[in-house]
Amino acid sequence: MRAIARWRLVLLCAAALAPAAWAHKESDSYLRLRPDPADGRRLLGQWDIAIRDLAFVLPLDANGDGAVTWRELKAQRQAIERYALAHLSIRGDGLVCPIRASDQGVAEHSDGAYDVIVFEARCDKDTPQKLTLAYDLFADVDPYHRAIVRYSAGQRTINDVLGPQHASVTLDLRHPQRLRQFWDFVVDGLWHIWTGPDHLLFVTSLLLPAVLVCRRRPRAWGDAGDWQPVTGFWPAAWELIKVISGFTVSHSVTLTASVLGYVDLPSRLVESGIAASVMVAALNNLHPLVTRRAWLVAFGFGFIHGLGFASALAGLSLPPAAMALALGGFNLGVELGQESVVLPLLAIAYLLRGTAFYRRGVLRGGSALIAGLAALWLVQRALDWNVPALRFLTPG
Amino acid sequence: MLSLLALSAVLATNAPAYFVPADDDQVLQRVPTIADPRVRHMESLRALHERRPQDLEAALALARAYLDYGRGTGDARYLGRAEAVIEPWLRLATPPLDVSLVHATILQSRHDFDAARAQLEALLQRDPGNDQAWLTLASVQLVQGEPEAARRSCARLIGGPDALAALACLAAVNMVNGRAADAYESLARIVGRAPPAAPQVRAWTEGLLADAARSLGHDALAERHFQAGLQAAPGDNFLLADYADLLLDLGRNGEALALVKDYSASDTSFLRQVLAEQRLGLPQAQADAAQMAARFADEARRGSRLYLREQARFVLEVERDPARALALAQDNWRSQRAPEDARLLLAAALAADQPAVAAPAVALVERTHLEDPRVRELLRRLRRAQDGAP
Repeated sequence: MRAIARWRLVLLCAAALAPAAWAHKESDSYLRLRPDPADGRRLLGQWDIAIRDLAFVLPLDANGDGAVTWRELKAQRQAIERYALAHLSIRGDGLVCPIRASDQGVAEHSDGAYDVIVFEARCDKDTPQKLTLAYDLFADVDPYHRAIVRYSAGQRTINDVLGPQHASVTLDLRHPQRLRQFWDFVVDGLWHIWTGPDHLLFVTSLLLPAVLVCRRRPRAWGDAGDWQPVTGFWPAAWELIKVISGFTVSHSVTLTASVLGYVDLPSRLVESGIAASVMVAALNNLHPLVTRRAWLVAFGFGFIHGLGFASALAGLSLPPAAMALALGGFNLGVELGQESVVLPLLAIAYLLRGTAFYRRGVLRGGSALIAGLAALWLVQRALDWNVPALRFLTPG
Repeated sequence: MLSLLALSAVLATNAPAYFVPADDDQVLQRVPTIADPRVRHMESLRALHERRPQDLEAALALARAYLDYGRGTGDARYLGRAEAVIEPWLRLATPPLDVSLVHATILQSRHDFDAARAQLEALLQRDPGNDQAWLTLASVQLVQGEPEAARRSCARLIGGPDALAALACLAAVNMVNGRAADAYESLARIVGRAPPAAPQVRAWTEGLLADAARSLGHDALAERHFQAGLQAAPGDNFLLADYADLLLDLGRNGEALALVKDYSASDTSFLRQVLAEQRLGLPQAQADAAQMAARFADEARRGSRLYLREQARFVLEVERDPARALALAQDNWRSQRAPEDARLLLAAALAADQPAVAAPAVALVERTHLEDPRVRELLRRLRRAQDGAP
């Protein structure tokens, strides 16, 4: 008897003094949420819970052989969902968003296999501004269990770790992010214009004659016709406003239609069309067919340029409100990009309008240059033929 | 454009990362089985506790069974499960002594050494004759690099009901206090008197004997003790890791791999596997290293410090990023200051060419007269590096 008592103490000794060599981490679940791009009231979620943890509270290993099979896991799907979903609540702006499990799967994490609950939560309010998660899974059987939470919407990701000490979190989905996102798209629009000379050259071609009045059209190629400077600033400015507005209206329409998926043209066709539009606009300055209604040309070709802008947003998928914001921001960026180039250009053109240099060098020479460049682009894009030496002239 | 790229990256990672197995009989996960007598023991205690949730003795028995099982299998989940069982008593102003002791053991096992120590010191104020609390305190003091304090704690066991426990405690202290030969001798005596039916004690003492032998530079002797320990407790997580380290140190990488490759679910075994694979230049080395890095990343995401030692070694020896390894080794040193931790800090500081950063480890090695030849060798190289510096 005494010997046994002695050994009990040495056993304790071993337990106390032996350094613990843990084989793997403690218990985590992984909870991922994102808004449904097609429905602002819906959240889509994936919740991975370790099979090892579920087996501790539910009879997963039905035959007791120490191995949980997919058949055994499927058989307990309802029990797992009932157990887990009772320990998670999602509220949008304070109102409960009921959670419904929609699928079951398996995920491999670094410490073993996890049961996956695919779910959706439907909130009463459209696109809640505040999302509150309350989590107490396994709080009664393992205080060191944690939920690794990740919410992602658009460019924004919020990470958090929930557990008994920090059992709920409110995610603020409001304006700071919206404003930020809007601004990001404005910047994208700006860059798209600044790095895409074809759009700028198109508008420039239409504006070069704005500071002049065509008294007599050229009768043949090589004939300059008779251009006279406008007498006041306002006719020139009015011309600019009409051209820019026409262009804006039409390219906004096709940009939106294309991003929302209503229009889908092959990019080769769109890019060739844009090159052709630049060429036509420039040639029109050399041999005008349209002199009074440049804005109509801008409006007409704006449709095809809009499809080109859309390529920058290809694949964008956001909830409706965020999508409207993104499109608005991008459009604004495109406009600002245009104005930033066109306004100084108009000022210079207005000052130089009376000189022969402007009429011959800029209007004719410049337009000829633009037409040549556009013709090159057209050939390249239509035939998919890349001239390495001319790559620097090719808009990205 | 950049924000759009970032956006598409986010959208890409949002794709459902799960699968639906095609085969119903596919085994997804190994779980504890009632074929294992330890599991049956746990289950019966759990049933008893569920029937009598107010019964303190039933709760303590279950919590201890969880801790034993967790320790035996290396499954750290059982620490939380044990704590959940005693939780109602932890909320009392003065928890029962045994509850405090179990809680301190959990805190110690989770590497929350400061909290464990505070808990034990408070407990010993109330109950100065609690042998197990003294033992646990000694082990915390050892991990914190205070063998002299640990020796004083062990001394409280002398003249108690069992001289054997005091002997084992002192042996563990002597191991890291410049008296490995004494430690080896007294441990050998304990093993000689062990009844055959105590595999846990056997595994522990053989492991200590092996460590003592290594400290004395007797690697062949150490190997025999590791083998004896593994015979008593096959698959013991702690013995596997230490034995694999011996083989790796001796350049017997193939044998190290063979030893641990069936235990890749265990992070400590898997680390040795990755080390061996890398040294052997095996094709799977890269994929397994990525898997190991993923495990550490998951660990970090939950804010855990359980594997800082292993992670620092991984970053140093596998990823070969001395600067990051040194930062991890320093962070590890804030909580753990055992000989392995000193060795790690010395090696990382040497590799990062910042010998001065290892000063606390150097001071500890000198103060405690640590004999381990590997640590001594690192110390020599560090001194040379320092002298060589302008």
